[in-house]
Amino acid sequence: MAITDDVLVIGGGIAACTAALSAAETGARVRLLAHKKSTLRQASGLVDVLGYAGGDGPLSDPFAGLDALPEGHPYRVVGEDGVRAGLRVFDEAVGDAYRGGHTDSNALVMTHGGAVKPTARYPESVAPGLASSPGDTLLVGFAGLTDFDAPVAADHLAAAGVPFSARGVTVEFPKRFRADAKVTRFAKALDRDEEVDGGTVRSVLADTVAEELDGESRVGFPAMLGDDHAEAVREELSDRLGVPVFEVPTGPPSLLGLKLEDILFDALDEAGVRISAGNPAVDFEADDGRVETVIVDQKSRPTPYSADQVVLATGGLVGKGLDSDRESVTEPVFGCHVPHPEDRYDWSEPEAFGDHAFARFGVVPDDELRPTDEDGEPHFENLRAAGGVVGGADVAREKSASGVSLATGAVAGRLAGEEATR
Amino acid sequence: MSDAESPHNPTLTPDAQTDDFEAVEVFPDSTDMDLRPGADNCYKCTACDVSCPVAEVDDEFPGPKFQGPEQWRLKRKEDEAVDDSIMSCSNCMRCDDACPSGVPLSQMHNTARGEYVDEEMDKLSREYIRNRILANYGTLAQLGAMFPRLANAVMGNSVVQRINEKVLGVTAERDFPEFATQTFREWWNERGGPQVRSEEKRVAYFHGCYSNYNTPEVGKAMVRVFESFGYEVVVPKQRCSGTPMFANGMLDDAKRAAGINVDNFAGLIPEGYDIIASCTSCSMSLRQEYPELFDIDGIEDLSAHTYEALEYLRIHEDLEGAVREASVDDQAFAYHAPCHGRNQGLDRQAVELFRQLDGVEIEDVGDSCSGISGTYGWKEEKYDKSMQIGADMFDHMEHAQGSVGMTECPTCSMQMEHGTGYDIKHPLQLLEEALV
Amino acid sequence: MKKSPSVLVIGGGSTGTGIARDLAMRGLDVTLVEKGNLTHGTTGRMHGLLHSGGRYAVSDQASAKECIEENRVLRRIAGHCVEMTGGLFVQRPEDSDEYFEKKLEGCRECGIPAEVLSAEEAREIEPYLAKDIKRAIKVPDGAVDPFRLCVANAASAVEHGARIETHSEVTDVLVEGGEVVGVEVTHQTGTGPYVHGEPGEVEEIRADYVVNATGAWAGQIGDFAGVDVEVRPSKGVMTIMNTRQVDTVVNRCRPKGDADIIVPHETTCILGTTDEEVEDPEDYPEEGWEVDLMIETLSELVPMLAEARTIRSFWGVRPLYEPPGTGTEDPTDITREFFLLDHADRDDLPGMTSIVGGKLTTYRMMAEQISDHVCEKLGVDAECRTADVPLPGSEDFTVLRDYMDDFGLRSPIGRRSAQRLGSRADEVLNSVDPNPVVCECEAVTRAEIQDALDTAGTELNSVRIQTRASMGNCQGAICCHRMANELAPEYDEETVRASLDDLYQERWKGERHAMWGTQLSQTALKHMLHAATMNRDEDPAAADADIDFAAFDDGGASEDDASGVASGGAVADGGRRRAADRDDDALGGADGDN
Repeated sequence: MAITDDVLVIGGGIAACTAALSAAETGARVRLLAHKKSTLRQASGLVDVLGYAGGDGPLSDPFAGLDALPEGHPYRVVGEDGVRAGLRVFDEAVGDAYRGGHTDSNALVMTHGGAVKPTARYPESVAPGLASSPGDTLLVGFAGLTDFDAPVAADHLAAAGVPFSARGVTVEFPKRFRADAKVTRFAKALDRDEEVDGGTVRSVLADTVAEELDGESRVGFPAMLGDDHAEAVREELSDRLGVPVFEVPTGPPSLLGLKLEDILFDALDEAGVRISAGNPAVDFEADDGRVETVIVDQKSRPTPYSADQVVLATGGLVGKGLDSDRESVTEPVFGCHVPHPEDRYDWSEPEAFGDHAFARFGVVPDDELRPTDEDGEPHFENLRAAGGVVGGADVAREKSASGVSLATGAVAGRLAGEEATR
Repeated sequence: MSDAESPHNPTLTPDAQTDDFEAVEVFPDSTDMDLRPGADNCYKCTACDVSCPVAEVDDEFPGPKFQGPEQWRLKRKEDEAVDDSIMSCSNCMRCDDACPSGVPLSQMHNTARGEYVDEEMDKLSREYIRNRILANYGTLAQLGAMFPRLANAVMGNSVVQRINEKVLGVTAERDFPEFATQTFREWWNERGGPQVRSEEKRVAYFHGCYSNYNTPEVGKAMVRVFESFGYEVVVPKQRCSGTPMFANGMLDDAKRAAGINVDNFAGLIPEGYDIIASCTSCSMSLRQEYPELFDIDGIEDLSAHTYEALEYLRIHEDLEGAVREASVDDQAFAYHAPCHGRNQGLDRQAVELFRQLDGVEIEDVGDSCSGISGTYGWKEEKYDKSMQIGADMFDHMEHAQGSVGMTECPTCSMQMEHGTGYDIKHPLQLLEEALV
Repeated sequence: MKKSPSVLVIGGGSTGTGIARDLAMRGLDVTLVEKGNLTHGTTGRMHGLLHSGGRYAVSDQASAKECIEENRVLRRIAGHCVEMTGGLFVQRPEDSDEYFEKKLEGCRECGIPAEVLSAEEAREIEPYLAKDIKRAIKVPDGAVDPFRLCVANAASAVEHGARIETHSEVTDVLVEGGEVVGVEVTHQTGTGPYVHGEPGEVEEIRADYVVNATGAWAGQIGDFAGVDVEVRPSKGVMTIMNTRQVDTVVNRCRPKGDADIIVPHETTCILGTTDEEVEDPEDYPEEGWEVDLMIETLSELVPMLAEARTIRSFWGVRPLYEPPGTGTEDPTDITREFFLLDHADRDDLPGMTSIVGGKLTTYRMMAEQISDHVCEKLGVDAECRTADVPLPGSEDFTVLRDYMDDFGLRSPIGRRSAQRLGSRADEVLNSVDPNPVVCECEAVTRAEIQDALDTAGTELNSVRIQTRASMGNCQGAICCHRMANELAPEYDEETVRASLDDLYQERWKGERHAMWGTQLSQTALKHMLHAATMNRDEDPAAADADIDFAAFDDGGASEDDASGVASGGAVADGGRRRAADRDDDALGGADGDN
């Protein structure tokens, strides 16, 4: 017999978590069906809502840009209310771990390359380092870490015209690791405050940086300042240095993305969402225009899960919610229609940062976020889509990556929950 | 064919006890595999690296991405040297669980480790001998179980422990698991085998070494729970599932054991039996590692018909309904999901199920690795790292309401007990208490 | 002391650098000019086959004999650029027996060691060959890295006193009194030890003799001198697989045709190729059907190619030449021999010779012949030594040490570094500490990048071709910016950024030919990382307009912002469990960190 719930959310990323939380708010019994670790692990941990639209940007007010987005953009489908609903679910789930909810305005956050970018929510560890908050800044990089070159990043900030002075220094990490040690090793050493010559990792690091400090009012490190005890690490460094310490978000491996994933899963647990992780949804059974059962491949054995309502939040090309070959682009679980140019050379543009079609690949939602077929009719009455699997937005260039997931997740989850509990 | 229908199998003869240590047969296929094409799936997202509990505490270990797709992709056919850091991988398989793109990471690690042990490790070295002994726990346990009281006294002797550490490199910090005075199989034979017969509902139990020699109460619980649902349970003759052998690169030993297990179990499948394991590493091995590493007739079939015990009941019975109607005396558990259970998608099922059980408080102590990873934490040079990895779990256990631990994995259970002093139960034991 | 005669060589490919080395070793005063970087032309765009000669053993035996001779020489002098993979000519059931026999006979006639293998024996060597192949001929094909070969030739030439000018485009050939006396070059933008002029600067370089070694561009140089050099440029596609499906060169044993060779090259396999005449060697269509053809046809030999990942494709232009009046229709039939066109004899224009045709495997022989010719013209009596003296990096190339112990590197990384650096491995790898891996796909460490930067200036593409950094499966997604960071502090941030943009765009160009399946997922990740996470597409540092920083959220530091609260004020509710946990007990909050 199938494992049965009211709402089944397929996926494990930010859209799936938001959909599950939103559905659970309606009182529905919700199960999250996640396959592998989500792409949050590759994302910076920032929650962008909208930074660039219609040739404008960076936008200080993300909501002001919504109307400039093209027809069919997910934000146009869910409207401003949907965007706000997504942020509400997020803010409640993360609590104090994130900042930015006090205002509609975007913040400008420094990236690990030294550019700045507009974002709506940022981890508390990032908050003291906002580029839109003046304060002379010392950036600190580590000799063996190639991703973040602090002097280059600082000069880049200056080139971007930030309203403060920025300087970068490269120091040795207090504990000497092999040159290919993972960032989790650095974070763990800080978490555990391991013993080193002259003290402990935290104290020696603070001493080292203190020598470099020259009147700056804040100090930034790449985002690897501890994991489980990150707050204590940052607090101690701040205390010892006498100025606020902040983290600069990084690309993969992204500890901030990882922490966001942990926070969201804690919130799911608290909301009573059931979680089945580790195996992919591969197939389904439908009857009379409704998805009845989702088939999960439990180590090569089909296992049925059934629910009244289903939310597809399997991600985009990176998360493998979309698949492609030389001829076509497909949505592999339900076979939903994914429009795409016939010639694969039209999927991308010759310019690396051009207006790529692939960046907008995804299913086409109706006004209830149900994926539609070639004729614009919903594939299934009870199947909705959220997040990267939904097409129509180049979230990377718009700086809307997490926002689209939050908005579509919140709306799809709420509708699914309401239907299931009606 | 197997002894499933003749459960009154005599206990193992002394001859059978030593043949695991006979000269190594050569099964070249498992270490000859070219896994370079598996690197095609990798897009360097590093989700595997940040999931690796060893890389977090040990910078000698370069992480699963390097050990897996990168090392394989850099390989040319004539290249021999596998980096020796492969021996620091604990085979927790969390990288498999993390990879969004289906890179066969643990298969790559297992194969590279097999190759390293085969071609680069000195077969007379202390490390090799120690690993070989740890990998063949089942053989050691057979001896121990012959004279359990004596064995317990000897293994628990601190002098012996120190000798183990000095001579063999087995840590003296851990107490050797106690041998039961009656093994599960002895109990099974004594009770006269199956008490329920059924044409429709049939399972063959893969108890593994630990439930047999050390915690027969888990095996008994499995039998009683399944029988209470009307299943005919049979217990074919079996060898170690191979998990500790994979982790130590002893692929020849593992293949030999797999051959016997496939022989004894796969033939039951056409007769309507599914295979049930109570240890999540055993079910992992039969389901995933067997078909990945070995080419044995029937191995795919065995893989497709193997289940973990709770998983099976959840799919085939209204287990949740049964639990909801039951109740037990008030008790609270700190539950740890073993990595290998996580890998099969089983990490939340015990918590989900027992939250429905009247009288039970159960809390998931988080997704960190326990740190013991089978034989890893038994190695003298890995002991400290093992405890560092486990620190998060100990910490979360102590903050949980319950003061009894729960897990499906025997070695996780050793680590939980070692780190907190808690008693540790298997979910089947609680299920037995609730339903039988 | 009498001043040495001076020679100007045009073209920084394998032939040009080979000539420069040869003449410099003979004591001549050599200047080489190249309009781009070394290997800018055809040399940088070939499949990397070190011919045994087997491919020409039926149709072009003269070329075949040259190939096997030079094959042996290169193994000797360029060990660190060559991998002796061996090669197979594989016959499928539908391929003719007659041709198979001719191939075998041809190899034997040309002195190419050839051995017939049964299908089973062939599949033992290459297990992924199709099950239904009929048989194969084994020959000593190999793989050669053209980039390293060129760079090593240039380095050797410089050691022997040559001057090399990259980014110096010939914009005229100086003819005085009916004789070529030098060239006019216009310096282009570029950096590195071989760049000496300012961009836009025009310089006349005079020489006693000029050699036109520009391959497919030879006609254009000819035009400057007023002579006709009828090069027939022919394009061919090469598709790069992510991994090595084969470790042996696999050729299809049938008469000429498209898509008939797989070359294991470094960490990849290269599928080739097509042969189609083009008008302009710098402007021709690169089309998807050519890539499809590679995959579909070659998967008849190695079926797994049909589903395997390709990481990019590129096209090269062969500098084919045939003497006027030959009139061959199909470029495949044009000879692969090389021709020495002495314009004194041919066009009554002394002072210059063009060298056209040929192939990378015979570059040294071509260089030797033209050097002999030049010496004769200049009355210099000096022996060629290039067949005997190893190239820098290939001296004393006794590999297989314990790299890990020597360099503190993981063994596959040390091994790959040593395979690339040859005898320079010690010197390079011990030069930097700490020495982290910069490019993970290709196992390139900081030390190797820094070493390459010594000759590359700010050109990361040159670093790339020397080290292979950014040439693996992520195509620079994870390492482009790391490579750029290595330019600092020697170069400023603006230069770092510009170099990064150039490399990123160059990677994009070839990757576009592989954007489906896993590589499209890879591309999507790259796009997210560089556009979403790093905001490189909207980098304010590159934008015209200034940002009004004050209009953005300052983190709640100013009162004005607080009035903007609109989205539910979640923070005001005091946060949830996690936050509370942390406040109460900083050590017990998180539920796991893996």
